[in-house]
Amino acid sequence: MIRYSLRRVVLLIITLWLLTLLLFSLNYWYPGDPLTNMSGITANNTIAYQQAELARGFDQGLFSQYVLFLQHLLHGDWGISLVTEQPVFGEIKPLLGATLELGLLAMALALVLGIPLGVYAAIQQRGALDRVIMGMSLSAYSIPVFWLAQLFILLFALKLSWSPISGQINPLYAIDVQTGSVLIDILISDSPYKTAAFYNALHHLWVPVVVLAIMPLTMLIRIMRNSVLDVLQQNYIKAARARGLNDRHIMFRHTLPNAMQPIVRQLGLQFSVLMTNIIITEVIFNWPGVGSWLVKSIYERDFPVIQAGLLVLATLILLVNVFVDVIHAWRYPQIRKEIDAE
Amino acid sequence: MLQRIAIICSAAVIAACGPVAEHAQVEQDGLVYCSEGNPEGFNPQLGTSGTTVDATSAQIYDRLLDYDAKRQQFIPALARGWQALDSGTRYRFDLRTDVAFHHTDWFTPTRKFNADDVVFSFNRWLSPQHSYHHVNGGRYPFFRSSGLIRLIHSIERIDEYTVDIKLNQPDSSFLANLATDFAVILSEEYGQQLLRNNQPEQIDRLPVGTGPFQFELFRKDFIIRYQRHEGYWREAPEIKRLVYVITPNANKRMLKLLTGECDVIPYPLVNELSQLDQDAEIKVGSSVSPNVSFWAFNTKRPPFDNVLVRRALAHAINRPAIVQTIYDGNARLASGMLPETSWAYSDVEQTYPYDPAKARELLAQAGYPNGFSMSIWAMPVQRAYNPNAQRMAELMQADLARIGIDATIVSYEWNTFRQRLVAGQHDSVLIGWVADNADPDNFFRPILSCAAARSGNNRAMWCNPEFDKLLVAAISESDIDQRKHLYQFIEDMVMQQAPLVPIANSLRYQAHRSDVEGVELPPYGGINFRYARRVSDDSL
Repeated sequence: MIRYSLRRVVLLIITLWLLTLLLFSLNYWYPGDPLTNMSGITANNTIAYQQAELARGFDQGLFSQYVLFLQHLLHGDWGISLVTEQPVFGEIKPLLGATLELGLLAMALALVLGIPLGVYAAIQQRGALDRVIMGMSLSAYSIPVFWLAQLFILLFALKLSWSPISGQINPLYAIDVQTGSVLIDILISDSPYKTAAFYNALHHLWVPVVVLAIMPLTMLIRIMRNSVLDVLQQNYIKAARARGLNDRHIMFRHTLPNAMQPIVRQLGLQFSVLMTNIIITEVIFNWPGVGSWLVKSIYERDFPVIQAGLLVLATLILLVNVFVDVIHAWRYPQIRKEIDAE
Repeated sequence: MLQRIAIICSAAVIAACGPVAEHAQVEQDGLVYCSEGNPEGFNPQLGTSGTTVDATSAQIYDRLLDYDAKRQQFIPALARGWQALDSGTRYRFDLRTDVAFHHTDWFTPTRKFNADDVVFSFNRWLSPQHSYHHVNGGRYPFFRSSGLIRLIHSIERIDEYTVDIKLNQPDSSFLANLATDFAVILSEEYGQQLLRNNQPEQIDRLPVGTGPFQFELFRKDFIIRYQRHEGYWREAPEIKRLVYVITPNANKRMLKLLTGECDVIPYPLVNELSQLDQDAEIKVGSSVSPNVSFWAFNTKRPPFDNVLVRRALAHAINRPAIVQTIYDGNARLASGMLPETSWAYSDVEQTYPYDPAKARELLAQAGYPNGFSMSIWAMPVQRAYNPNAQRMAELMQADLARIGIDATIVSYEWNTFRQRLVAGQHDSVLIGWVADNADPDNFFRPILSCAAARSGNNRAMWCNPEFDKLLVAAISESDIDQRKHLYQFIEDMVMQQAPLVPIANSLRYQAHRSDVEGVELPPYGGINFRYARRVSDDSL
């Protein structure tokens, strides 16, 4: 297990290292001055520019530039935005908070609904409800997020007025941004209208969360159904039946724990899909997260911000994947054997 | 599955209706304005962008005097009164003694407004020796292009509440320029504090002024938050909180107005105005905005340095069709630079008629019988003078193709767009101008003078010393008939030289929910929330 974990971590480090190489090269591939692209300091600001030139080794070769680039990266000195002239690293925390809030809630919703529905469909195999669930999940899976989001806005915000169109909270509540996650921010704020603000935030939150949850939800239903069906065919389930254990006991003690294995394996992959969708969702719902920040920075040709956005999103996806892999191997020893045997 | 989702959703909605009373109170006390873009900073002295002016001038700051467009006269603001001395080359301002600056987290004022603040604010753009002159770019496009920098000789503190401004020559547009949104008064004490803390650039990011609202926070691309200035020297505004939600997408702005997420929006889509007007919950306000949209050629670049080419292009586009398509009846075809509302306007046609044959002939004369290729830069944002520059550029592209010119459309994010225009990277650009004050001079000097070409505001990069002489002659004249005559002369010269093609003068619109009242859209300058208030439901 330790050997396996170490291998995953080494792989993670190598991937991250390749990522930094890519980011470093991007500074040269973008149009304009590589130092400006890297640090966000323009040549008009002569003194700061000369300082950055020294600090980032632009009087030396490419290799020492890269080493210094890594140093800056590790120290959290990610340059300043070309547009706002604020340090990029400082801007990230609240944005990441908002993105994670949206992503985790969507993932949680998908798990909470997807697993029972999948199990239910498996038990009802080939029954009417099974067909309905599977049919709906297939059609929902085929709907692209950008379209679904617009459709939900049209339906829930404009026709039914069940939710606002965009944003995290009615800005009149004046909740100060600290973690970026609006629910946590409300809880730690000293607003006199905490309860109302909390409800208002939920009111804003539910549509983007549902939109994001749909894609992983449909996947989870399908995987869960197949996996449960698979497990039900196994000899140990037949043996349990033969011993006269009741259905409920077999389901919760034997089928479910084993059927969860492909779900855990899928979580990492689903998270990557979710992150792609979150970028689109954030833009449509004006959500102040890393995704919409990245997209805007592309419009504005704000190179230091583009790099930071790429780095954060890629690192997040990598970390989650490695984490899920390790958990998966730790929970299900048979997987470890498969891997070690390779 | 969807059923379950629907159940959960509606549960969330029902839950959200719980604390209605608290909710209503917060909404009642505040106002949400969905603005169309990010301000460049929080000091209007530094820019000319309408978005920046909307977010700052009337809210955070005050001026020495204001202009009352209805009665067409100047009214006292921070200056209680003023008099012209030395045959119009010296103005003495008598200042108010009871004006408090904002008390914010980053600044606690220890004294009231006085002459030092006026001298500080004026010298910031006037005097290169001023410690803040070079801070945050150090470009003062309005003051440079309106000529105020060269007009004012010096500003002098006479006593604590009296200030003298000496002019180099008498100028009939001087007071009009001081009443614009750009001539704001900053706090000298705050300036000193920032210098001591060694962070002078904060003066335009965490602003302090004397206006009806004080700045609280700005999150780029999301919100700007203000709160009421409790010690405001005039009647304090009724709303406690003012929030600008940045919503660049015009469709989304309209939808958010419909759902009530925005109380007021600028630049509603012109085509959907009539539909909005019928909606009982929404009211559309308009003001005659003295503006002009135009197509400027970069006269520094060949072939646009050739006047024949410029005239050919002016003949080549079908302006009436463009105005019909883009403005849908909410604008007038421009007959020159000056709009109908200006007193110097005359109804003589001072533009080129649509005539592709003539255009081709002129191109041939200029040595381009087979045409050439060029770029049309189209603004990425909506402006009162041009609600859809992209579409306009497409129409023009088709017209130009007919005389053999291959045009490509170029656009960038708004701030980048403006920076690149200043650098002169364009062939031609669709942009426009909203007058800052009622003087006709404001339609020429800030956009076509040599000073404007140097400050980058002259989108045609056009500098003609003779034209500048005419402009100076027109402002030194005080007889109004003579001035009118001179401005007609100037209009003629713009037409002859064709550095730009005027396209339309439009109305400026804003739409608001019917429970909001008193949002002012003055013809000159930015939006004003000082009188905004909410009408409660029972009084409707």
